[in-house]
Amino acid sequence: MNPVRLAFRVLRVDRRTRTSTILTAVGVAIATGLVLLLVSLPFATKARAERSNWQQLEPSSHGASTMLVRMGTDYTGGKEITRLDVSSTVDTVALPPGVPSFPKPGEVLVSPALFERMHALPASQLADRFPGKVVGTLDDRALKYPDQLVALVGHTPETMPDNATPVSGFGTADRAEVDPLLALLAGVGVVVLVVPSLVLVASSSRLTAARRERRLAALRLAGATPGQVTGIVAAETGVAAVAGAVLGLAVSPLLHWLATFVSWGGGTWLPTDFRLPVWLTALLVVAMPVLVLLAAVLGLRRVVRDPIGAASAHTPKPLHAWRLLALPVAGGFFFYVVSDKSGSNVGTVLLGLLMVIGAAVVVGPWITFAVGRIFVERWRKPAGLLAGRRLLDDPRGAYRASAGVVLAVFIGSMALTLMPSFEGLAGGGGTYRDSVLTVNTSTERAHEIAAQTNERLARYGQQARATELYSVMLSSVNGSQVNAYVVPCERAVELFRVDLACAAGPAVYGPGDLSGYRVSSGFEKAAVPLAPGIPTRPFRPLDSDVSVQAVVDLAAVPPGIEPKYVNVAVSTAGSDPEVVRTALAASGEGVYSRDVYLTRQLTQLADLRRVTVIGLVAAAVLAGCSAAIATAGSVLDRRRTFGALMAAGTPVRVLSRALRAEAALPALAATIGAGVAGMLVGLGLFSMVKTSGEAASAVLTPWLLAPVVLGLGVAVLAASVCTPALNRVRAEPLADE
Amino acid sequence: MLSGRGLVKRYGTQYALAGVDIDIQPGEAVAIVGPSGSGKTSLLHVLGGIIRAEEGEIFLAGQRIDQFSEKKRSELRRTEFGFVFQQGMLVAELTAEENVALPMLLGGTNRKDALGAAREWLTRLGLGGRGGSRPGELSGGQAQRVAIARALTHRPKVIFADEPTGALDTRTGKETMDALLVAAADAGASVLIVTHDRELADSLPRTVIIRDGRISATGVGAIA
Repeated sequence: MNPVRLAFRVLRVDRRTRTSTILTAVGVAIATGLVLLLVSLPFATKARAERSNWQQLEPSSHGASTMLVRMGTDYTGGKEITRLDVSSTVDTVALPPGVPSFPKPGEVLVSPALFERMHALPASQLADRFPGKVVGTLDDRALKYPDQLVALVGHTPETMPDNATPVSGFGTADRAEVDPLLALLAGVGVVVLVVPSLVLVASSSRLTAARRERRLAALRLAGATPGQVTGIVAAETGVAAVAGAVLGLAVSPLLHWLATFVSWGGGTWLPTDFRLPVWLTALLVVAMPVLVLLAAVLGLRRVVRDPIGAASAHTPKPLHAWRLLALPVAGGFFFYVVSDKSGSNVGTVLLGLLMVIGAAVVVGPWITFAVGRIFVERWRKPAGLLAGRRLLDDPRGAYRASAGVVLAVFIGSMALTLMPSFEGLAGGGGTYRDSVLTVNTSTERAHEIAAQTNERLARYGQQARATELYSVMLSSVNGSQVNAYVVPCERAVELFRVDLACAAGPAVYGPGDLSGYRVSSGFEKAAVPLAPGIPTRPFRPLDSDVSVQAVVDLAAVPPGIEPKYVNVAVSTAGSDPEVVRTALAASGEGVYSRDVYLTRQLTQLADLRRVTVIGLVAAAVLAGCSAAIATAGSVLDRRRTFGALMAAGTPVRVLSRALRAEAALPALAATIGAGVAGMLVGLGLFSMVKTSGEAASAVLTPWLLAPVVLGLGVAVLAASVCTPALNRVRAEPLADE
Repeated sequence: MLSGRGLVKRYGTQYALAGVDIDIQPGEAVAIVGPSGSGKTSLLHVLGGIIRAEEGEIFLAGQRIDQFSEKKRSELRRTEFGFVFQQGMLVAELTAEENVALPMLLGGTNRKDALGAAREWLTRLGLGGRGGSRPGELSGGQAQRVAIARALTHRPKVIFADEPTGALDTRTGKETMDALLVAAADAGASVLIVTHDRELADSLPRTVIIRDGRISATGVGAIA
């Protein structure tokens, strides 16, 4: 008896086995494709980092200094520009791939996207920020992503911005690191997308489980050894699994290509970013079918042990309540890991997450069993009786139909707990109004930068003007200190996020009473009293996270105090923000603005939201397919019974209702449980991400109910596939299978 | 009571029924016998409204029923007919009394009345103590008696039985048939039984022999 030949013979003659094999292969293909994509994500971020690591500073401690660098971040139209001002201190500097030459003083190299943008906008809005002539463009090998905006500006050592750093050279690819957030998300993705894929595989292979069990039992009774039966199953499953894995490998370039369009960290990807090492690809492609084969062979225990029992009806054994213990054990481990302040690594957290999901697999059938028992005791309609009995009879099988949905609900609830909480963390950095642009500089250069900026603003016809901001320290007699900006009150109103009523004459403004405070130029400098008669007046911060502690009129600063920590600030209110930014950025210093800071946060949140939505949609589709296939399998398993009921006059709609109830009842209980578990896990993960200093708490919204409702809807919708399946039975209710 | 006229049923090019005329009187028990593939089961299914004939007419109490919609035929099967199949075809997950009560529940009877009637029928058929057992826990004869109780519980006019003793040993088969015929007689129902069992056929008041889709003989008692 050749198992492979027998497997092919069964495939040839049995339509249902063919359907099951095709669906199993599709499930394995999806799982393989997803694993190949998700596992490639850390490699993709590393590929990005390797290309763009030259944009990082390489401290000269790694070798002799070869150049001066000042790395800055600028923005145009909400997009980030990476700007490197460089000046070589040796004859030749080693160039990274994709950088055609080292820019000489007065020369600028830009990325193609920046080049395009510089030509599309007036010079006052962008090009004037880069002093010099554009002499070349950087190619893809030097860019994090194809649309990255990068400028490499050449200087003499003398014209370099203040805070330039001597470095040994451009950053090298070998120091590139994986994006930890995307690596974490990829790990979560492997768990949350591959598990539904495997549920899909399990549901597909269960389509013929009852019939196959009978066939194998007959073979065992006819004298086949356990080894021979195992061989047959391995051959039957192997055909689907190997075909699926090969198909998954074949479609993975398509998935990788689609992934290149998903923006992350400000830009898209190169197709080559998702390239996996050959050995890893081979390992994954072999591992998937092996796992499926192992699962199939392990499922043979009953036939191998008791072929007669497998061939006949059996009385189900009740499930034990000890299964419930799995949840506190897994939950306890997970919360221990996330609350461990000594530093849990991503792998341990993922293990905790996997344990929680594993606990759902153990607890879910028991919940299904318990729901079934309630319905059997309390049914009023035949649909409730049929559903309750089915759940009680085969809780594992019934739960399998909703397992994918449960997982999707779990993930959805987790995401909906995390996302608003992350959004709650966003904001902060609240000194200046959103419309204010600032540069940090030295006391010596502040005046020059302000003057040059104002000259440019005047030339560009803008009303905005730069203000030099200094700071002093105010100390109370009991030693408490507050930082105070030294700026005219009317400019403070324009610049800071405070509600401030300026009074005539010099004054000190603060959120509390500052009378009796002494003034110093720094933390450990000698403090002198404020001039007699200087009033202290209150101001009201516009938000809870405003960090302005006090404002002092210049005339109120006692003689002999030399203010430090200089900012040059310009309010863009009433002017073109891009032009004002150009005027300020031309100084070569990095321009900071709160709106851009918020934009960066919002970009990160948008990235997170995007991948979450993609993951959830994929999980929901996979879960829906699994539930639909499991429901169809449930009809096929009981074809003779349903046929007899229909022959005796039972309407299809009554049986449909029963089957929908069968899917919906455990899904309802399990999705509520999954929703709560997802929320708790989300809170746990949030507590990890939130740093100890942040006061923000998790944000729980009514939207948390959405995954539960949607999950239930998907389960019921998928279960409605039973109606066409039942209609097929109705066509010939008593026909042999 | 139940009549078929010129019934024709084809499967591809094969004729399962090639123009059958048959009449079943109220309360009559009729055996249909014939070799395998002769069309016995097809005749039962066509008369019972489970499948449609390509040609011919079927009347129940003078009303033509072969043109009924699927919905109406289902209702007819649920209310006027009862079915007993070779394997019992019980719902494996339900207990014996739930299986018997199922047709009544599907017809809208409440839980208490349906289960009460089911228990009563199980007791009449000698299964008073097995109402809570599942089909897998019953012997073949017991399961078949549950199927008979299910077919009778809604008091049908006609009971269709397809090889009801085919899977039982001789003694159990006879006990099961006796139970069916007595219960049907008590209920005043006609019984149409497809069987290979010549002894069983001989014990019924009328036997119809079918060959190649045509009735070749019909008569009282043993006619072969």
